[in-house]
Amino acid sequence: MDAWIEFGRGPLFRLAFSLMVLGLLRVGLLSTVGIAEAYRRSPDRILAWPEMARQTLGWLVPVRRLWRTRPLYSATSFLFHAGLLAVPPFLAAHVLSWKRAVGLAWPPIPQRAADWLTVLTIAAGLGLFLGRLLDRRARALSRRQDYLWPLLLVVPFASGYMCSNAAIAPKTYQVLMLLHVYSGNLIMILIPFAKIAHCVLAPLSQLVTGVSWKFVPGAGDRVAATLGYAERPSWVEKSRLDAGPSARQGKGVWIR
Amino acid sequence: MQPLAPEERNRAFTSTKKPEVIQRQRLGVRYHAEDFAVAERPRRFIEAFAAILKHTNYRLALDHYVRVSAKCSRCTVHCQVYAATKDERDIPCYRSELLLWVYRRHFTLAGILRARVLGEPGLSDERVQEMADAFYNCTACRRCYLQCPMGIDHGLLTHLGRYILSEIGIAPRALVVSTREQLTGASGNTSAIPVPALLDGLEFLSEEMQEEKGIEIPFPMDQEGAEYLFLPAVSDFIMEADTLMGNAAVFRATGDSWTIGTKYYDGINYGLFYSDHVLEHVLQKVQAEAQRLKVRKILIGECGHASRAAKYFYPTYCGGRDALPVVNFIEYTHRVWKEGRLKLAPEVITGRVTYHDPCNIARPGWIVEQPRELLKAFCGDYVEMTPNRRENICCGGGGGTVSIDEILSFRTLVGGRQKADQIRATGAKYCVAPCANCKKQLRELAEEHQIDCQIVGLHDLLYKAIVFQ
Repeated sequence: MDAWIEFGRGPLFRLAFSLMVLGLLRVGLLSTVGIAEAYRRSPDRILAWPEMARQTLGWLVPVRRLWRTRPLYSATSFLFHAGLLAVPPFLAAHVLSWKRAVGLAWPPIPQRAADWLTVLTIAAGLGLFLGRLLDRRARALSRRQDYLWPLLLVVPFASGYMCSNAAIAPKTYQVLMLLHVYSGNLIMILIPFAKIAHCVLAPLSQLVTGVSWKFVPGAGDRVAATLGYAERPSWVEKSRLDAGPSARQGKGVWIR
Repeated sequence: MQPLAPEERNRAFTSTKKPEVIQRQRLGVRYHAEDFAVAERPRRFIEAFAAILKHTNYRLALDHYVRVSAKCSRCTVHCQVYAATKDERDIPCYRSELLLWVYRRHFTLAGILRARVLGEPGLSDERVQEMADAFYNCTACRRCYLQCPMGIDHGLLTHLGRYILSEIGIAPRALVVSTREQLTGASGNTSAIPVPALLDGLEFLSEEMQEEKGIEIPFPMDQEGAEYLFLPAVSDFIMEADTLMGNAAVFRATGDSWTIGTKYYDGINYGLFYSDHVLEHVLQKVQAEAQRLKVRKILIGECGHASRAAKYFYPTYCGGRDALPVVNFIEYTHRVWKEGRLKLAPEVITGRVTYHDPCNIARPGWIVEQPRELLKAFCGDYVEMTPNRRENICCGGGGGTVSIDEILSFRTLVGGRQKADQIRATGAKYCVAPCANCKKQLRELAEEHQIDCQIVGLHDLLYKAIVFQ
């Protein structure tokens, strides 16, 4: 079993971590390139930069706005995010692993703080799962991944906590460590393909929305022409019904 | 807020369409749609969607939103429609997902492959019907946007959803018929007001003002080289005489040059509500008139959507950075008052006054404090509604729904339910709503909920306070 753990901590970790970084780079770049393209296509370059910056920063550091509506849910979610961002990269044991592997190190968070934060993150994760399950509104919106993510994210936290804190038999330790390492790797591989990609995409959202409201001149005419209705825009006197499909002269539509 | 009683729910959601119309259109939505071909709707929806994606910027937002959407349900607290119905289908994120689903399923590689492997069915007629219903339950007020940690603009998706639907003929008849008159009709405006009627009406208003104020207050017509081309919501010319008198009086007091063009005098642009194609063609009419009269600025009257359509899309379609500046009348009045060129007598209005922020001008933070400063200058008892300013609650008639008479009960019982409570709580005698759509909706709302409050425009009251030197 030790060999499996070593494989998970070594080659598999390197693969999973690279996939996560490359995958996130990809989606981040796609949105960035999309923003640039859309911006270029519209002659209207007037964007509310300060407003977009304020909105973006306001959600990145949601100290003020989060509590005004649904405070309990907001607090839970905030705590969960804080734990996810702070513990994995700054846990002393993880920092040490990095130092051994690549020779780079950064100041870790104190062990007691990490322990508390881990417990709170686990509680918050379970809280979010239950909240989603029990709230009618959230249930109406939820897909499978929305239920699974909080649970999946809690697994490496819980197993890691037990490994470093509980007095457990060596055999159990091995099993838990295996779970810890492999669930962590799985999460990293999945992140770019799931909603967790918002960790790099959310800061771009205001810009995406701002640019998306910048329309392309002539697009309406071109859409009508593509659909074969160049001479019969949607407001013409005689309805398209009378003309029938035979009146359309457009070519086949290209679907990507 | 009182929960929706079963009887009210029934009244709000019952279709007033005749059975034969539903049969013919094969569409059970509560508003009348245009009579378009009804065959193969799902296929045509996807074709229209593809064509729009090909020629516009929407793919960026869809791609991004599909990836970030976390389904956190925070938007539920900010939607006045959901607050009234408590129906999950009215949650902004739920509605947006209807369109995002189509995008994911038919326009992303992952979605197409997934469907192949799992044998998922594609877009169906039922889903098209659901979207047609959902996108016109939304008032496109964009309040939920402020609550979305992921920055998803559900208003943008409502706009896109309606645009695609309109290309396959699913658009409220009320909007299409008005647009048809505006773009191809003889009158060239949404209310079909011919020029002689316009001139008659304005002459009558001038006489009225002469009697009241004792001075001549003209409406300059076709003045070449004027500074401002004035475009109110055209319905103001027949419905909101007081607002127009206030507008003219402000110019009389400042002496700035302005004009109304007889070739085109309609600020309304329903394109903002349902079609980019319409949006562009209407703004081109504005540009043609501005060029004909060689004006230097476009001045939009008290109308939220007309102001937003012109302010944010005139540069897009009519010259980018070189486009003529667009000014809202409240902005103008506020500026000249600040400069000391307009004198207002204090405390002319003694009854309690409150202010309703029209979404289209308040949400972007564009016109928020200006009307408040003006009102406080001449009203003795000014109170705020809560919430207000950028976080205002929609009147319930936004997104063009106010023009759809078939859904009047829906607007007053559901869409405007929170607003009615808000207005009642202020105890105001006057509710100032500087927007043609908001005014119509709020009046219907006050009637339905028996609120003793007069709905007026800003310049209606301001007219009484102007001091002529």
